[in-house]
Amino acid sequence: MPRRFIIFAAATAGLVILVGAGFLSWIGTSRGLVPLRPASPGARDIQHLYVFIGAFASFIFLVVTVPLAAFLVRFRSGGRSREEEGPQIRGHSSTELAWTLGPVLILIAIATVTFILLPGINNAPAAQNGLDVTVVGRQFYWQYKYPNGVIAVDRMRAPVGRVVNLTIVAPVWDVNHSWWVPELGGKRDAIPGIVNHMWFKATRTGVFDGRCAELCGVFHALMLTEVEVMPAGQFDAWLARQAVAQRRGASSLGHDVFAGVCAKCHGDQGQGGYARPIANDALFNDPAATRQLLVNGTRQGTAVMPEVGRGWSSREMIAVLRYLHRNLAPKTGGTASGG
Amino acid sequence: MAVRTETYPVPWYEGRFARWLVTTDHKRIGILYLGTALFFFLVGGVLALLMRTQLIHANDQLFTRNTYNELFTMHGTTMIFLAIVPVWAGLANYFVPLMIGARDMAFPRLNALSYWLFVAGGIVLYSSWFASGGAPKAGWTSYVPLSVQIPGSGQDLWILSLHILSLSSLFGAINFMVTIHNMRTRGMTWTRIPLFVWAIEIYALLLILTLPTLSAGLTLMLLDRQVGTHFFDPAGGGNAILYQHVFWFFGHPEVYVMILPGFGIISEVIPVFARKPIFGYRAIALSTAAIGFLSMLVWAHHMFTVGLPTGLQIFFMVSSMAIAVPTGIKIFNWVATTWRGNIHFDTAMLYALGFLVVFTIGGLSGIFLAVFPFDWQAQDSYFVVAHLHYVLFGGSVFALIAGLFYWWPKMFGRMLDEQLGKISFILVFIGFNVTFQPQHLLGLLGMARRVYTYPNESLWNTYNLISTLGSYIMSVGLLLILINMLTYGRRGARAPNDPWLGDTLEWYTTSPPPPHNFEEVPYVTSARPLRDLRRQLREEARA
Repeated sequence: MPRRFIIFAAATAGLVILVGAGFLSWIGTSRGLVPLRPASPGARDIQHLYVFIGAFASFIFLVVTVPLAAFLVRFRSGGRSREEEGPQIRGHSSTELAWTLGPVLILIAIATVTFILLPGINNAPAAQNGLDVTVVGRQFYWQYKYPNGVIAVDRMRAPVGRVVNLTIVAPVWDVNHSWWVPELGGKRDAIPGIVNHMWFKATRTGVFDGRCAELCGVFHALMLTEVEVMPAGQFDAWLARQAVAQRRGASSLGHDVFAGVCAKCHGDQGQGGYARPIANDALFNDPAATRQLLVNGTRQGTAVMPEVGRGWSSREMIAVLRYLHRNLAPKTGGTASGG
Repeated sequence: MAVRTETYPVPWYEGRFARWLVTTDHKRIGILYLGTALFFFLVGGVLALLMRTQLIHANDQLFTRNTYNELFTMHGTTMIFLAIVPVWAGLANYFVPLMIGARDMAFPRLNALSYWLFVAGGIVLYSSWFASGGAPKAGWTSYVPLSVQIPGSGQDLWILSLHILSLSSLFGAINFMVTIHNMRTRGMTWTRIPLFVWAIEIYALLLILTLPTLSAGLTLMLLDRQVGTHFFDPAGGGNAILYQHVFWFFGHPEVYVMILPGFGIISEVIPVFARKPIFGYRAIALSTAAIGFLSMLVWAHHMFTVGLPTGLQIFFMVSSMAIAVPTGIKIFNWVATTWRGNIHFDTAMLYALGFLVVFTIGGLSGIFLAVFPFDWQAQDSYFVVAHLHYVLFGGSVFALIAGLFYWWPKMFGRMLDEQLGKISFILVFIGFNVTFQPQHLLGLLGMARRVYTYPNESLWNTYNLISTLGSYIMSVGLLLILINMLTYGRRGARAPNDPWLGDTLEWYTTSPPPPHNFEEVPYVTSARPLRDLRRQLREEARA
């Protein structure tokens, strides 16, 4: 009997340790409770905050559920009749006080740690070699503008180890969006008429996925973005090269805009999808009319094409018109006028 | 031999169906409310299952784009405005007059009007599926400018429906307050009214204080849409964030409108099944009032990412955290009530205990979200979806089911089947956690809410698959409750007047109660008049 008990106890203890160790080792992994590896100081501090609150939250959860479970087992009726009552305890003032003040202290601790970490998350460190990028949320693409005039759509390139200051906006005629790349930090809304700021300082190179987090309409789910963090030297070279190429009209800007702006509704090849097919459309032989459509959008009943091209620089517009003419205009039409 | 039967002409308004249409009896209106709200709960649940099925793996093509946006908009609006808020109106209608020993509500005809406006609001909302452009698709929050720009009539019907439902809730709320203030039976002072009635008092007060704000916001949205004003249009000098302030000034108290009556039910069920008085009656009543007050000071914690000044964000973080204190007081008091009790695990009690566990998780994830730097990560992600379902399903719906099992014998004079009830609890409890726990992790991974697809990566697929399977398990459990209500609830064992040996006055009358509720109401000398009566009877028998 005692021997069987020892075996049972050892087996139980072994199982508990195994499960516990498994749980604890799972918690900290990317498949556990901390699924992302932060790539910016802000994101890292937010994760610290999350782990810190998580510790308190787990503690409070146990404080509630362990006594509850114990009471349920210990004080189960076990066949006693309903007529039998427990003791007539109507309350206990100092206990009430304890479970009022206890949570208050825990909340003060959480708030204090938040205030300590807040400046590091919120305020961009002063830096001479910082990069300013304007992020424009549009239905349904992200447009990035660099200080030297370079434009990018949906894919932002950034240098590693340098502060990137983001100005996040949406045109007044657009709707709310929210720029969110979880590994680089929190999100910030792009709201018509409001100018918001955010920053990150990538700690490693790589491509980080992001998306629009505020419902913006039919293609909200596909309003994705990527941030490609590259070595600083490589980035500077890219930015300089891109500036020249875009000025000369020799960049891939036209293709990028088509892929980010047009293809989501009209298909990768313009074959149609949510919106009608646009491949081989004679309209693209008429740059002025195409421009008009892009700038004003169109509305037939409840089918709407947003004003995707409103506010584009002439350089961007020309790049798109040229791309559409070259790749989507009917091949047989001899009236091409160039773009 | 012919049998002569005497037939008496029955006036049309006492016909089998007509009497339900013309009724002003609070019990019938309560049942109508309950039935209609549960019907909408079923519809909203089906919409949720369709969404979970779409999300079962990445790039599924079942419901995409506009259809998916319609699904979550209708799901949210249905569950909040057509299921949870009115289901409390139903239970409160039936039980507030009984619990305070009243003959009926203060304004029986206004009561009927509230109900029929609720039906009208539901019909208007669901008619939008047939409107040009289809159902509304701007989310239940319907943020501008999207909700102003969206074409078609669905959004206008959404506005109209919410206007009608607001009126319905306002009339109901005024009725509840007047009833509670004026129609309590002799001896029932404010410290002797049942805690469920306390909860309904604050529920009604919050509706009266905040619904007009929603109506104002909706009216401005309608004007922006149809008349060409620019209240929310920055191109014309308006402000897009203003709508969010207005909406959440209503929207956050609305969260407590949906949970406080649930708290009330838990405060009724736990003591009765633990065979003990509630621990800390005054603390629970006061914390209900405190939550009601604080709930009007926290609205901008829904807006931490719009770029508010840091000082404001700190204020709203602290005020949101402050709500955790009275909520914690309630939870600790409920746990303490079970201490040294004689705990009976009937289905109502199981759901109440399940509520304690899952609502605690929902409350704790709320603390994460109150901390605004963390909220910058989690806002509008599946972490928020998980949190709000932990409080609205794990809180409100678990409490609702507890209340249904507790009060069903009184309402219909039949006992629901306990075995079926317990199986349903196991399925709902497991299914619920399997559905919503992985959604916390999806949010941390970066899954935004209101998306019909997501990146085709292994973790995203796994968590979504688990979540969808959980929702199917939960549905089976909920279906069992429906079957229980439709079979045993109509033809099961006859219920005695007081099957659980309750504490409150509704158990004093017959099951179901007669139209006039009580032959006489005992003089109330404590918060537990029925227990006092039982003791009195026992002592008299002994003497």
